[in-house]
Amino acid sequence: MKKDKHNNQRPGTGTVRRRTILKAPLAAAAAFAVPGLLIGKAQAAGKYMNLDSFRAANIDWRMAKGAKITVGVIPAGYFQNLEAVMSDFEALTGVQARLEMTPPGQIRQKAVLDLSSKTGTWASHAADPMYYMLYVANGWIDPLDNYLGDAKLTDDRWFQFEDIQPGHRGATSVDRRPYAVPFDGEATIQIYRKDVYDAKGVGPADTLDEYAANAKTVHDPANRLWGCALRGFRGAGQNMYIYPSLFRAYGGEWFDGKRVVVDSPEALAALEYYVSLLNSYAPSGVENWNWPDIADAFGQGTLGSYIDAHGSAAVVANPEKSKVVGKIGFARWPKGPSGKRVTSIWNWSFPINGALSKKDKHATWLFAQWAGSREVQIATSYDFPGAYKRTGANRGSLWKDPKFLDLMGKFGHNYVKAATESFAKDTDPDWRPRLPQWPAVGDTMATAIQSALVGQAKPKEALKEAQKKIDQILKV
Amino acid sequence: MSQSSDAPVSSSRRKGGGIHAGERRFAFALTMPGLLVLFLTTTFPLLYLIWSSFQTINLAMPFLDGFAGVDNYVQMWGDARFWHAIRLTGIYTTTSVVLQVVIGLGLALLVMQIPAGQWVFRIVAILPIVLAPVVVGLFWRTVMLSPNFGLVDYLIQALGFEQVNWLGAPTPALISVIIIHTWQWTPFAFLVLLASLASLPVDVYEAARIDRANAFQRFWHITLPLLRPAIVIVVIIRSMIALSAFAAIFAATGGGPGTASEILNLYAFKTSFIELNFGYGSALAVSLLVITMVVSGVLFYLRTARHPGTKT
Repeated sequence: MKKDKHNNQRPGTGTVRRRTILKAPLAAAAAFAVPGLLIGKAQAAGKYMNLDSFRAANIDWRMAKGAKITVGVIPAGYFQNLEAVMSDFEALTGVQARLEMTPPGQIRQKAVLDLSSKTGTWASHAADPMYYMLYVANGWIDPLDNYLGDAKLTDDRWFQFEDIQPGHRGATSVDRRPYAVPFDGEATIQIYRKDVYDAKGVGPADTLDEYAANAKTVHDPANRLWGCALRGFRGAGQNMYIYPSLFRAYGGEWFDGKRVVVDSPEALAALEYYVSLLNSYAPSGVENWNWPDIADAFGQGTLGSYIDAHGSAAVVANPEKSKVVGKIGFARWPKGPSGKRVTSIWNWSFPINGALSKKDKHATWLFAQWAGSREVQIATSYDFPGAYKRTGANRGSLWKDPKFLDLMGKFGHNYVKAATESFAKDTDPDWRPRLPQWPAVGDTMATAIQSALVGQAKPKEALKEAQKKIDQILKV
Repeated sequence: MSQSSDAPVSSSRRKGGGIHAGERRFAFALTMPGLLVLFLTTTFPLLYLIWSSFQTINLAMPFLDGFAGVDNYVQMWGDARFWHAIRLTGIYTTTSVVLQVVIGLGLALLVMQIPAGQWVFRIVAILPIVLAPVVVGLFWRTVMLSPNFGLVDYLIQALGFEQVNWLGAPTPALISVIIIHTWQWTPFAFLVLLASLASLPVDVYEAARIDRANAFQRFWHITLPLLRPAIVIVVIIRSMIALSAFAAIFAATGGGPGTASEILNLYAFKTSFIELNFGYGSALAVSLLVITMVVSGVLFYLRTARHPGTKT
């Protein structure tokens, strides 16, 4: 392999070595293969970014020099891009930070075990926003206001924490105290086959009823085209990622005082819609599908539409994997009977493990700040030398950056507008019930939804059973 | 034996007692590290599990933590999902063990008829056993049973039958995990029974032939009784393993859809590690431990009770 023949330098930065530009994937591969090869001691230019723009911040980036930290992340493109540019972090701070890839199915359990046993194995990890109430109830992570407010640790004129999407900051705060730096976030949008819809004379759905009607119109399983698909796999982050949007769009309220209510008439109507939609127009097997399965099926041209994270567009619009490139349209979530469109406020963020030593905490804070900074967001997005470029930029200012919008515009019709409007108008802080018992509540609901989907129980019974269990969990 | 005849032996033991005691102490010292490791890795976690089952340990509600007495067990009594899991565990264990023994015995009898090259079958039979259960679960989930693309579905549709959603519908999902377990572990029964068959005395069969016993009579009155110890051992070992099965089901269905293949072990795992309710999860695990001990105890008892002769 010609792994040494790559150049990831940005124009205008000082030269470390002269290299020829090679294809992007090779560059990414090489970045994994030769970490540290190009890193001198402190230098003006990182491999990917100009370190001077970090040094403009009035803090001592070398304050935790020599510390070693490990950060748990999932093996997704956005973290792989981050991993590729990690050598710049070490060059800047002298901190050795390693990203440990852990599958999404296990990262939550691993993080909880680490935090609860106070072993400090992961200085930080890509955290599920729904887990912050649990973390905070146990005092496992540090509130960040102390870090953000300390002039020695943060120069906010440079960092601009407020520039990070308000929905994401809200989702990682508890009682208005921030607990993490959001790194990557997404909105849920409608993704449809524009060519098929056009041929049938229909447009993207404005309401949930229209969405079902569209699915019916294009549904043609004999020719291997199914009407639509939504996440069916059981899990707090799988079917309980889609259902809460329906629940809220039907006007459901999670809380009645302190009690969590999941068997209200609105909850039932939402579940009945979900079950009937998928049983009528989704391919069989959808009850075991998570978003990658759905995106694959859509990419193979077998789905008329789906509703999921805007980031999945990178999969369905990738010419290497998808047969429907150039035929894709995007729109916001359809409206429910309550008139609301409700997107997820999903994001991955970096908290600071409370069990660390002071030096490691500072190192972790530098890492979180660095990863959430505008510079790193750009370096892992449109400036990334590899083929995959992040679309889940965390900052409002980036969503106005012409270069970023140019990248996003390539995915298909109306993509930028659908995503930006979702961020601006469809986020809902009460998307899911935020409480420390979320893991149990989320899993109980996920089980009930899947039971109803496969006909193990009628929607009403499934929700009644879930309500009983949730009452037991919350001891009301 | 009388006391008097016993006396010289014990006195000679006493004489050499000094050396013996020293040796014993030395032997004990040598085994200490091993015993200590065993205690730390098996006994201690077990005791800790039992202790936790009498506590409220819920990471989601740390403020409620404390001694719970038998609350967890009382809660279990009224927990429909627990009884559902028990029922599934019973079905899963019984069916898969019976299938393993029947199919394993059938295969062993068949292979015994092959005059040469039995070793090929032995080697092939080992393959599923040495695979990690997670791999087996994922293999079946993706290659064999996935709707539209899986081999099984392809065969069924090619034969003109209607598509079955193996892992997506409640009953087929339970059947699927039983099939997967049976597929992986029948070779174990096969190998043990094949070895036993090979060691059966030939003269008994010759005598039976002279008495004009037909094939079925030979099987029923000679082979089966002679094989009984081996069969019982297979049943005991397989039942204990099936009761605590986890990885293959976890990988294939995750206990789903809904709770359709959620055997007790999976329910205990989910309660502890997904719901983070370690107290109740421990109580569920202890109940599984008790069930496994009772079942194997009964099977062992049946084995020795029916065959007092085998003791000597």
